[in-house]
Amino acid sequence: MTQKKGKLTKVLDYFKHDDPFSKGVAFCPGCGLELLIRLIPKILGNDIVITGTPSCSAPVLLGQNKKSWHTLSYFGTLMTGAAANATGLARYYRKAGIDNTVVCFNGDGTAADIGFGNLSGAAERNEPFIYICYDNEGYMNTGIQKSGTTPFGASTTTTPAGSIAKGKNLRRMNLALKMAMHKIPYTATATLSDLDDLAKKLLKAKEAKERGFAFLHVFAPCPTGWGYAPENTVEVCRRAVKSNYFPLWEAVNGKIRMTKTIRKPKPVSNYTELIKKFAHLDEKDLEILQEDIDYEYCMLGGLSVLEAECQLPVSAED
Amino acid sequence: MNTKRKSQIQVITGNAAAAIGAKLVRPDVVAAYPITPQTEIIEQISKFHANGEMDCELITVEGENSAMNAVMAASLAGGRVFTATSSWGLVFMYDAVLATAGARAPVVMVNVNRETPGIIAVSSGQQDMISTRDAGWIFLIAEDCQEVIDLVIQAYRLAEDYDIQVPVMVHYDGFYLSYLSEGVDVPFQEDVDKFLSVLKEQPERVKLTPGGKLGCGSHGILDGYLELRYKHVCAMERSKEKFEQIDGEFQEIFGRSYGGQIEEYRMDDADVVLVGSGSMCGTIKTVIDEKREAGIKVGLLKIRMYRPFPSEVMVKALKGKKAIGVVDRSLNFGFKGGPIYTELKAFETQLDGARLVSFIDGIANTDITTANVAQMIDTTCDLAAGKSVREVTWVSYPEAQKANDSKNGGL
Repeated sequence: MTQKKGKLTKVLDYFKHDDPFSKGVAFCPGCGLELLIRLIPKILGNDIVITGTPSCSAPVLLGQNKKSWHTLSYFGTLMTGAAANATGLARYYRKAGIDNTVVCFNGDGTAADIGFGNLSGAAERNEPFIYICYDNEGYMNTGIQKSGTTPFGASTTTTPAGSIAKGKNLRRMNLALKMAMHKIPYTATATLSDLDDLAKKLLKAKEAKERGFAFLHVFAPCPTGWGYAPENTVEVCRRAVKSNYFPLWEAVNGKIRMTKTIRKPKPVSNYTELIKKFAHLDEKDLEILQEDIDYEYCMLGGLSVLEAECQLPVSAED
Repeated sequence: MNTKRKSQIQVITGNAAAAIGAKLVRPDVVAAYPITPQTEIIEQISKFHANGEMDCELITVEGENSAMNAVMAASLAGGRVFTATSSWGLVFMYDAVLATAGARAPVVMVNVNRETPGIIAVSSGQQDMISTRDAGWIFLIAEDCQEVIDLVIQAYRLAEDYDIQVPVMVHYDGFYLSYLSEGVDVPFQEDVDKFLSVLKEQPERVKLTPGGKLGCGSHGILDGYLELRYKHVCAMERSKEKFEQIDGEFQEIFGRSYGGQIEEYRMDDADVVLVGSGSMCGTIKTVIDEKREAGIKVGLLKIRMYRPFPSEVMVKALKGKKAIGVVDRSLNFGFKGGPIYTELKAFETQLDGARLVSFIDGIANTDITTANVAQMIDTTCDLAAGKSVREVTWVSYPEAQKANDSKNGGL
């Protein structure tokens, strides 16, 4: 990639701040979450207040007793009310006139499952903070259980592939789209194969939280839980994007725009072949997964066209 | 000090008293979610906010769990906070209630007492309070609307005191007090400001600030966990004396005193005592006056501070009495007697022979009538006279007394 003069095109150019994390931290090798969590303060600044819940991020983010693995201000909390905690912090800082960037940093278990109610509530109230969901498609920390974002066919410890069952027999929810439908100032999807896209979106989220709620849905695969080689994390992300398994888009006030379009999407098997949690799926199963991906992408495309050309509905009488 | 000034008596409900109390302490952040019989509080606060009378961040949350989480975080960031709930709302926020106590966030919350167990009872009772008593909060209980507003104001001095920093819940009976209108001497703003100004003279508490390189909510492990728990327990013990001191300072400014952890009514020469809490105490006092005219030496010990349990002052006040009847507006599943009765039992050996008897009444909106109170006093007098009485009496449910004792373990 060539760098245009005066324009930030490489992710390194977005690193304006120090890495507040210790060099060696207690994450698995190849952890997608670690790459993401180190990136955030380097781009948004070390003066963010980050909140986290019991999760894969907890051992590093929340620390133990009086010790922690980083120098950020952090608020360790429960999965049930994370967005409400961030609300309380951001509102008090606003009242006290304290400049702040509160980052509510949660996995998909908190965002899509147990804490979705207060996430939705905070979005409805347009609370002034950034919510980042790192999506590793299940409860990786407690031992790989199914969540609302676990895709069809994935084998987890609560949806194990067996002699009858073929992993999760339900579709995954589209969390980011749900959030965009709250018409919040900013919603975006991002992943670790497209870091400058992610960096741009982080900065847009920071800018948007001056107007209210910003939500980032970051696809962050897990080598330990999904069963792929640790060095393949970024490749897994890349193939997820190239197959439209995880499309990259953003929405301002609910208006959707694709930030990366794939001219010739690869079949989903190109993505699933890297990952053991899909290994038991046959061609028919993959077809179901492919149909789901195509449908979701089609809907997203339709919505982005709709939003771009949206006009007031005209009734038949007119 | 300012007792020369005219008071401002208003006829208001207990809920209005709580809302005005919350306004007078000038909170930074208020979280609001409705639930019967608390709703009027947050409606009033919303009105104050809409009219510019209350300069706070008002968060109209989507559920009680978020209410507690929001005020907990705002409190740890350095804010003065307020919220209110009742019964199922308190249960729905229970994880956050525990986290708030563990984080030592000086939150003040009003809980308008209502039944909780199993059956959805929209009726008064202290079961919600009892079900959360081990959360690590300080619990205060008001008897009337005046005490509601006064306790809300006093609660901030206790919660935010540098030596305490423990959340405080102010309880009062739903329906009986929440919707009861009576004359309340509403404190002047400048007096409340003065009363709370003591907190500004104390060292600043630790606050979570952007760039402050400080965390809260770490994993408490082994000795770290033990240290925090021990310090929490010690702070709760300290709050007993602190509350007495606050009550004294309150009297200096507002001209009203309640006696601190407990209020003693006609106790000095009493042989027989009823122990009660909340709105029932007004009725009990009336009946005591009648019994006194008939020559019966009976008094009331009113519990104002329920957590920490005011055992020292209670033992001192009850020592040497002949018999004590404990009135519980809640149940203690797995124990025969009511919860406060069961707890007081632990100190029976220190009471110099005073005997205890349990009365369960007023649950699920059954009125604790003057006749009921008279019956309780009579039974306690019988015990004092050496007669055999039932250990536990469900006063408003005579069927319980007809039941087969041996099958029900004496109940």
